[in-house]
Amino acid sequence: MTARELPFFARDLFEADKAVLLRLIKEIGTGADQRFILGEHTAAFERMLRESLDAADVVACGSGTSALTLVLHGMGVGAGDEVIVPAFGCAPLAATVLGVGATPVFADISRHTMVVDPARIEELIGPRTKAVLPAHLFSMMADMPAIADLAARHGLRLVEDSAVAQGAVLRGRPAGTWGEAGVFSFVQVKSFGMPGEGGVVVTANPALGDAVRMLRNHGQDGVHRFVHHRIGYNSRFDEIQAAFQQYRYALFPARLERRARIADYYTARFAELADAGVLPPPAGRDGRCYYVYCLLCERRDELKDWLAERGIGSHVYYPRPLPRQAAFVAHARQGARWPVAEHAAARILALPIYPHLTDAEVERIADAVCAFARSTASNALAEPEGVPS
Amino acid sequence: MPAKTPAPVNETFAESAVRKVPFFTQSSAFAELWPSIRAGVEEIFENGKFSHGAQVARFEQRLAEYTGARYAVGVNSGTDALVLLLRACGLAPGEKVLVPAFSFVASASSVVLAGGLPRFTDIDPVTYAMDPESAAGAVTSATRFLMPVHLFSHQADLRALGELARRHELVVVEDSAEAIGMRQGGRHAGLHGAGGVLSFFPSKTLGAIGDAGAVLTDRPEIAERVAALRHHGRGGRTLDHFPGISNETDEPGMNSKMDDIQAAVLIAKLGRLESDIVRRAELASAYSERLRDIPGIIRMPVVTAPSDYRRDVFYVYLIEVENRDALASHLAESGVGTETYYPVPLPFQPCFADLGYRAGQFPNAEAACARALALPLYPDLELAQVDRVCDLVRSFYLGRAR
Repeated sequence: MTARELPFFARDLFEADKAVLLRLIKEIGTGADQRFILGEHTAAFERMLRESLDAADVVACGSGTSALTLVLHGMGVGAGDEVIVPAFGCAPLAATVLGVGATPVFADISRHTMVVDPARIEELIGPRTKAVLPAHLFSMMADMPAIADLAARHGLRLVEDSAVAQGAVLRGRPAGTWGEAGVFSFVQVKSFGMPGEGGVVVTANPALGDAVRMLRNHGQDGVHRFVHHRIGYNSRFDEIQAAFQQYRYALFPARLERRARIADYYTARFAELADAGVLPPPAGRDGRCYYVYCLLCERRDELKDWLAERGIGSHVYYPRPLPRQAAFVAHARQGARWPVAEHAAARILALPIYPHLTDAEVERIADAVCAFARSTASNALAEPEGVPS
Repeated sequence: MPAKTPAPVNETFAESAVRKVPFFTQSSAFAELWPSIRAGVEEIFENGKFSHGAQVARFEQRLAEYTGARYAVGVNSGTDALVLLLRACGLAPGEKVLVPAFSFVASASSVVLAGGLPRFTDIDPVTYAMDPESAAGAVTSATRFLMPVHLFSHQADLRALGELARRHELVVVEDSAEAIGMRQGGRHAGLHGAGGVLSFFPSKTLGAIGDAGAVLTDRPEIAERVAALRHHGRGGRTLDHFPGISNETDEPGMNSKMDDIQAAVLIAKLGRLESDIVRRAELASAYSERLRDIPGIIRMPVVTAPSDYRRDVFYVYLIEVENRDALASHLAESGVGTETYYPVPLPFQPCFADLGYRAGQFPNAEAACARALALPLYPDLELAQVDRVCDLVRSFYLGRAR
């Protein structure tokens, strides 16, 4: 029997909830109040998240990317300011900073965890530094205790790019609540993904929450229609998605736990592969959220092909450090180097980890990675040293 | 004796349905279209990509066919479409863009978000669109773009504005967010200059049930750049293609992807758009007939008969009246929804206070802001409801209905 293809990007994430989504679309589409954007469902969804996080405010908006923009704009970060961001991560880390007119300063990352290295951040702090924007990446929260401490010592605003880390808890404190503001993204592939685009701002600062509310809907105050106090955005949340997410929230912890168990299993299986050039992420559950499970692999492209030959999808997040991408090269400091980010970009490979993988499928993926490691290890042993006689 | 006869239940029902006239609903239209919307959503489940996916790709194609645009690029909103279009057309920081003083704020805020500086012109009092003479007076050596806006049921005079743009080498980008179905000189709105936009805000002539928008253009380089910018500035294929999220970022972009659920709704509604437009025109003439001789109404929309040169579309039925706010309250108390499009000229919005414009500089826009009121207009609307709205307007000004 041929085993089924295991794609990296699952296309059947919402299959079990199809009837619910169809019902909600019909109900809201034909509903009496004909309210489709920023209505009661959105308010209830915001309230639900705010209470679960004990945050001052949660503001729903168009996407995780837009949430970052709203926070930076709301904090008054702008022209002449510098924001320290990781050199390795998703494009919005740098693009949102540029979007509000500020300059991203790229800090290198830690070798094994791949999140930003607090020591590198501290070296880059200068007179123009206004904010620090660490990002949680893949399965790992950034070192928030150290970063919060340095932000406080240097009087910097702290924005937490927690877009991928909803549900992670570090030393008892949830992702999204370490900074003055954090964000979550609900694009479908995320741990609390949904069938559309959306995100939220989470903040401990009620005034910042108010500013973000105004900015997300064209600078209006929510009372006086068509009076625009500030230049704002159209970054709003759809009622269908808010209703669906409220329904889905009950099973979110179970899905996260399933992801973590798959990760525990992978990490245990891969613990012995370091000598063969395959390094799993650190084991553990504190400060972790298994959105994406990434290996560091010395022969990454070979492993990717090996898995593909066995019907297993994998993905390279991200093949280049941010300051090496065309969009950001010109904005990076002259002569700066990010050797650890380069190291990660050359080796990183993500394995499927969605919660509806069966145990047998997880084993199949782990077996394939272990077999690859064994094959490369034996190749290495077989390679003769020196010139053959 | 009639007092003793209990009213049949369904009559009371019908009566209350007539009495309450929401400013907007598409509830019946949505219910009628549900089988095809449902089929579209089922296809999304088959495909598995719920934003920036196959329905969005199909909607872009249908929209290009309908408008005649070479390219239609789906994004998250009409506002985003304007920002991305301006950026894709090469608006450089500090360059000036002429925008009419009377419009939704996005016409001007998009310029700021794209890095430019809006400069305002007055409007034509009949079409509410940019007045070519006022625009000519506002052009300076720093002006690079001209942004005509088509509002309500009219189009800007693109012959005159196009001529002005040619004279001063200005790039024309149209805020055609409201103008689906409108054509001039055989071209769909948005395609007279470098490009235009559409908004699919729910109440629009073609409305989603959430936020969505699009850029229209005939120029491949603009379409390509908008398509990249909406997906974080990533080059290569991203539409209906998951692995594209790791494509290299070519320039700083944003996330402005369209949801496939919205695309499925829009595909279904696009199928009856032409009959919706006919229905809107019928309802608009019904309004005009009934409101014709009411004192207190200062201006009613001028209807241009469709010709080979021009077709307008009634997106909004807008009148100018005395005591506008009191009329709006009177209607609201009677269960009739209205919208005040728009209460404050853009140059006088708090967010543009630093530009230093003063009262009296935009007489036509200022007059419109003081007097304009939009009445309910949508295909679901019944003639009996139009009667009711007009009776209420009449009784407000004359103290009696017909």
